[in-house]
Amino acid sequence: MQTNEKKTLSSLVTGLILVAFFFGLLAFINLGTSSYIQRIVIGLCISIILVVSLNLSSGFTGVFSLGHIGFMAIGAYTAAILTLPLSLKLSYLPDLPAWLENTQLSFLPATIIGGVIAMLVALFIGISIMRLTGPYVSVATLGFMVIVNVVLTNWDSMTRGARTFSGVPPYTNLWWVGGWTVVTIYVIWRLARSSFGRQMMAIRDNYIAAQSLGINVLRMRLLAFCVSAFFTAVAGSLWAHFIQSFSPKAFLFDETFNIIIMLIVGGMGSISGSVIGVVGITILSEVLRNAERGVNLGFVQIPPVYGASQILMAVIFILLIIFRSEGIMGKRELDFSRIFSFLFRKTKRKEAASQ
Amino acid sequence: MKKSILISVFLVIATLLASCAGSTQSATNTPIKIGVLYNVTGSQASLDAPSYNGAMLAAKEINAAGGVLGRQIQIVFFDGKSDATVIGNAATQLVETDKVVAMMGFSDSDMTLAAAPIAAKAGIVFVTSGATSPKLPDQVPNYLFLACFGDNVQAAAGAEYAYNTLNYKTVYLLTDQGMEYTKLLSKYFKERYTELGGQAILEDSYQTGDKDFSAQITRLKGNSTQPDFLYIAAGPDDIGTIVKQFRDSGIDKAIMGGDGYDTPLLVQIPGKGATNVYFTTHSLMDPNLGTDPIKKFISAYTAEYGNPPENAFAALGYDTMKLIADAISRAKSTDSKAIRDALAATKDFPGITGKLTYLPGSGVPQKGVTIILVKDQKLTLGAEVVPEKIPAP
Repeated sequence: MQTNEKKTLSSLVTGLILVAFFFGLLAFINLGTSSYIQRIVIGLCISIILVVSLNLSSGFTGVFSLGHIGFMAIGAYTAAILTLPLSLKLSYLPDLPAWLENTQLSFLPATIIGGVIAMLVALFIGISIMRLTGPYVSVATLGFMVIVNVVLTNWDSMTRGARTFSGVPPYTNLWWVGGWTVVTIYVIWRLARSSFGRQMMAIRDNYIAAQSLGINVLRMRLLAFCVSAFFTAVAGSLWAHFIQSFSPKAFLFDETFNIIIMLIVGGMGSISGSVIGVVGITILSEVLRNAERGVNLGFVQIPPVYGASQILMAVIFILLIIFRSEGIMGKRELDFSRIFSFLFRKTKRKEAASQ
Repeated sequence: MKKSILISVFLVIATLLASCAGSTQSATNTPIKIGVLYNVTGSQASLDAPSYNGAMLAAKEINAAGGVLGRQIQIVFFDGKSDATVIGNAATQLVETDKVVAMMGFSDSDMTLAAAPIAAKAGIVFVTSGATSPKLPDQVPNYLFLACFGDNVQAAAGAEYAYNTLNYKTVYLLTDQGMEYTKLLSKYFKERYTELGGQAILEDSYQTGDKDFSAQITRLKGNSTQPDFLYIAAGPDDIGTIVKQFRDSGIDKAIMGGDGYDTPLLVQIPGKGATNVYFTTHSLMDPNLGTDPIKKFISAYTAEYGNPPENAFAALGYDTMKLIADAISRAKSTDSKAIRDALAATKDFPGITGKLTYLPGSGVPQKGVTIILVKDQKLTLGAEVVPEKIPAP
């Protein structure tokens, strides 16, 4: 019992240290770096939210969803319609229903409403498609994404249809994305560690066996799907207020494959793996994007080859899948309390040595 | 193992930081930096890559002739990868690291709006070479300019040409509901055409990427009255298929559309059916039938890249670069604000895609429209017109 309490305490301390470190890093980035670096970090945090929440349904529960970008679109459009300044609303979206035409919310409630709507949609479609398994569920979710796209493209009065939805206020900054990243990781980590999480993993590993143990497969899958839809929509809202102008075609296959690649590279079923996957791929693709414009290596000048970054990334993914098919982390997690105690012991030993 | 991962991560970060740290020289005869953003990879590449080539050719010609204000022009280019997030990052780099004095690029509203606000925030003007939505400049007031005509201009030109010159009084309207461009085009066309006294007897729609138009064709054929001609607002990927299927079903009425028709597919896919088709575009890219400046441009482009210009977007990229250079030389300064003011005051700039003038307070130019007639699989110059009246954006 005592050891259990000690363990909880130490993981609490570890968590607090990590959060403090994370916000310290954000403060440094906010003050000490160019807005180019800040933009990369904002994009990175949004991807972390997307991939970690996708991991809950795809990695932990085994519902391999290809339609999550549909939830992102729902979150982005809902929040953007709610935060659009009233004057712009009148000229951009003149056909909105009156109660919506005269509503302007601040960022947080708009984002949460976007998340809740996505969650309700997930519940609605989930009741039917969460009964499917394996590739069938992937195809069904893909269909969902296409449906969302068609609705957005044709619902002119709400979304401006295929036309660019612009004028979204630039609310997203490092603190908003940082805060939501911490909340997302915390909630999903707690969920994955709870008895719910154990049940989800049991379903993923063998759903017939799980069912025979009395686990309600449909309910667990729905839970994972809805929570993950909520945070995906939150990321959508953050992205909308970051990019400020977008159209339905932004929420299609390109973005879907982006987050799936990050998920697979990091490791399906590992939250720290998701973070590592996102950070690694984001930094690598930025470096390669700058490098493909031509590099001077001192002795030789490499001419610009546009598109080389995508090719190189693809080669790296193929190699990774061949040599480490479970992703960088697989299903394991980084154990920070062990890392900390390891570092701590090292310094202690050094102190002892110097004495 | 872990250590090596850590080291490599640090190395990657260090490279990233190093690549961001640009040199900041400011002698008087250093080159003038102009930011150029195009998607040479991804879905926009077929329009953007020729534009980028055109812009590079223009810069080369300007530099060969002694540059601007006695200084050379240096293009600072980033590939947007048809991705709004990447474009935002690249635009930020152009502003912060490269400190460009003006920016240009893109053939799409979404892409333009991902970059232009970032430039505007830094007081830098953005000229889009190929995004034709006349609503664009209002969204980034004072700092976003179109170097091409707006969709309202080309739609009005098409409507007036059909009604006045070709004497067509009734129209069948088919619109792609999946694109901002086609929706606006058909809206402006209908507005101007009905204002002139024409009548739209049937309207129908489809979605970008549709492959089967038999339902639309059946509806048109089943209609009690038949139109004088068909106005089809379509993008470059679909128009070939549409013309082919309409012609195959025996409809030989004239078909008209906008600059989305400006693709080799318009003639290749329908084959023999590619006749009696009109479209409004920026210029006729033909080495024999084009205007003299276009002929010169085509031979220079062919000499530089080994193939003739892929489409009119190459000429637009070329014009945009020269337009910016013209503004810099009239501003007699490389101050971004002065360049903006000089650009806004552009009058009768002799572009190869037509004379260009910005009226006070407007980022959409007054510019002539070229109407092309496809006859027996050959593109011929129909007319060059300036519409009498243009629908409000």
